[in-house]
Parts: sequence; C-alpha cells; structure tokens
Amino acid sequence: MIKILLSFIFGTLLMAQELLVVGDAGFPVENLTKEEIKSIFLDKKRFIDGKKVLAMNYEYNHPLRLCFERTILEKSEQSLERYWRKAYYNGKRPPKVVTSVEMLLSYFENVHPTIGYVDANETVDKGLKVLYKGECP
Amino acid sequence: MKKILLFVIFSSFLFSTEPIEYGWDIPHTPLRVGGYIDALYDKSIEEKFLFEDLSLLLSANQNRFDFLSEIEISHFNLDGKSHGSADIDPNFERLQLMYTIDDTHAIKVGRFNSDVDFWNQAPVNILQETTTVPHITRSLYPKATTGISYIKTFNDEDKFSITFQNNRDIGDEYADWVVADKHISLAYHGVNDEFLWSLASGFYREEKSQHEAYYAGVGVEYEYKEGVFQAELFTQKGEEGLSKPYSAYLESTWNFSKRQNIVMRLEAYDDEELATEEVVSLLGYVYRPFSNLALKGEYVHHSDLPLNRFVASFSVMF
Repeated sequence: MIKILLSFIFGTLLMAQELLVVGDAGFPVENLTKEEIKSIFLDKKRFIDGKKVLAMNYEYNHPLRLCFERTILEKSEQSLERYWRKAYYNGKRPPKVVTSVEMLLSYFENVHPTIGYVDANETVDKGLKVLYKGECP
Repeated sequence: MKKILLFVIFSSFLFSTEPIEYGWDIPHTPLRVGGYIDALYDKSIEEKFLFEDLSLLLSANQNRFDFLSEIEISHFNLDGKSHGSADIDPNFERLQLMYTIDDTHAIKVGRFNSDVDFWNQAPVNILQETTTVPHITRSLYPKATTGISYIKTFNDEDKFSITFQNNRDIGDEYADWVVADKHISLAYHGVNDEFLWSLASGFYREEKSQHEAYYAGVGVEYEYKEGVFQAELFTQKGEEGLSKPYSAYLESTWNFSKRQNIVMRLEAYDDEELATEEVVSLLGYVYRPFSNLALKGEYVHHSDLPLNRFVASFSVMF
C-alpha cells in the first residue's frame, strides 16, 4: 500500500508542469523575483532599468494562465476580478492578451522589452531569457 | 435617451466573457474609452428610482504619462432630468495627468480622488459591496482634490503621497460631500500580502462655508479566500460645533459562492454639525452574474436618524 502511495506521489511530481517566466533576448535584467513579476502583471511596475515593459498574458481560462494566476500572482479568480475592476477605474490596464504561444513569440521578436510565460515542456528554445521558474501544482 | 441607455447596458454584457477587459481602445491612438452606470432604488429619496451616475472614462498611457478623465452625469431620472433640471450638465469627476519620473516617484496634477482611506480610492457603486456609503466618505475630508500630488512608492507596493490644493475645485456644484478650495494631505498605504493598511492626515477649507478642519484616520483591509474584511476610523477637528469626533466602520464581505456575497457593515459616528451620534447597521446581498455587473440589495438601520430603509441598485462597468 505504501509503495502504491509513494509511486503515486512521485508520479504526480514528475508530471508537474514547469512554468517559465521569460523575457525577450535583450530583456534588461537576467532574472526577476516572484514579487517583481507580480507587480509587472498587476500593472504596479511598468519600468525596468528605465525601459517600459510590455506584459503578455493568455486568454481567460487558458490552463497556463490559470496556473500563473495561482502560483505567481497568488490570487483567486474572484480576487483578480475585484482587483482589475478597481485598477481599470484608476486607469490601469491588464497585460495584453495573446491567443497562442506563436503569437507570444512574435511579440518577443518585435517588441522590446517584453515579458510573458510559457510551458517549459512545450516551448522550443527561441533565445528567450528565463527570468523565473515556477511549477504548476 | 432611454434607448441609448438600454443600448449601453445591454452591449456591456458583451464584455462578460473576458472578466478583466473593459473599455474600447480607440484605433491608432493611446486612448481607451469606457465607463459605468449605476441605477438606484431608494424609498427615502423623492424620486425613488434614478440613475445615480452615468459616467464616461477616458484613459491613455503614453510613455511616462498617464491621462485619466471621468465625466459624469449624476442624479438622472427617467424623465431625462439631472438634479431636477432638463439642462444636462456633465461634471468632471476626475481630470488628471500623472507623470512617472521613475519606478518610485510620480507627480499627479488636475482633479483626482483625494488619497485618503480605502473607500475613496474606488468610490463608485460597481466597485463596492454596498450601495450606500459610510459616513466617513461624505463628511470627514474632501472627496476630490484639484491640485498637485507627489507619490513615492516603496517595493512596488507601499505608497506615500503628499497632496496640495490652494484653488477652487473644478468639480460638481451639486456635491453632497466636502468640497474644498484648500487641502493639504499626507497619506501612506502599506501592503503585506493580502493585508493592507493606510494612514492619512490633512487639513482643508470648505469652499462655500470657508469652514476649516483637520482630519486623521487609519484603515485596514484583509482579503482572504472566503471574503474581505475592511475597517476604518477617522476623526475630524473643526470649528466649534462643527467637528466630527469620530466616525468608524467595520465591513465584512463573505463570498458564499463564486458570484454571490453577503455583506455586513457596522458603523458608528458622532457628527456635531448634524447633532447626531448614532450607530448604523447594514445587511446586504450582492449578486455579480458577470464580472462587470452587480445587483445589490441591502437593509440599513439607523439608531437615531429616521433613515431605516431598503436600498437596491444595478451597476455595470463597460
């Protein structure tokens, strides 16, 4: 029974999705803390090293976005809705939404500096700068 | 006019599929346009049903500049009259320009919500859990400041501001809150995960009466999985017989389902100007079928003033 339980636990760990917060190749810094990423995606921090950063998000209900909101932003859907209602009223804007990884990669190539997040298992190396590593539970 | 209103309300439902996107980007410009509407049912007022606010929000972010304007028509009834007059007179609720010097310093000029307490940072129906507002928000300090503010941010979260006004207010002449022609304030907002706190203190001179007063207060807010708890306590010292020795409230919102909340508020204040010292209790229900829409109903009980009543509202942001 213990063996079954242990194999289930380790199996689950192996399947955990790794989330990479990435910037374009010329992103002004080499890494960011979770708090800094949170501030950028909540439009509380707009500049890094004097450069305005473009934050990219996936569509609502995208599995990676749900993971990002839970593990990096650490906010529930209800809490985020409440936050963005007030933020919008105060002139803030949520990150730009992309519908696919390809669209995200095209922003990385054309707009600098840009920050977004990808699934480590699916994304091929496109010369992106890994700024933070997280894991979806 | 009614047709336009109905069109705006129903078209705003289109935003409901994406919970955090509001407004429309105006092509080839940095401008975004949106707004909100509040409709109110209150038996204690002469016109029991009216559109409390019809508001247009226009914002723009360009490099280090942030522009924001909020143009509003208030107390608009079904006969097409605002404040009882057929002449519609839109009011600049906010008209502000902010310049971000760097990550930690910014300057704001124009007419903006005074940086005092939690409630005043989002003083509109759709953003709050109740239709009625606590005594603090109307009587203790100027709701808006027409002046200049310097903002210093710490760790992207904590914020200190100093605000100065020494001129006439450019806002609503019908305002039923404090309108000042002189205002100085200091405020600090702290953030520690889901726990927020704020301190504020200031001095103002009321525009019409030239009454002068000092105020100070503290607020806390804690957001947890099942709800939000908020409390504020303010005091105001003015001329003889016009002070508000204390005004405080505790408000608790319980998210009993994803789209439904129960809200309770207990409030107490002493207002020498109104010659009233009373306790106000509130029990309310909020239904948010979509992120941009709220239906609210609440019963308000006053221990002293004859204002016990049921209030309901519909509000939508687009």
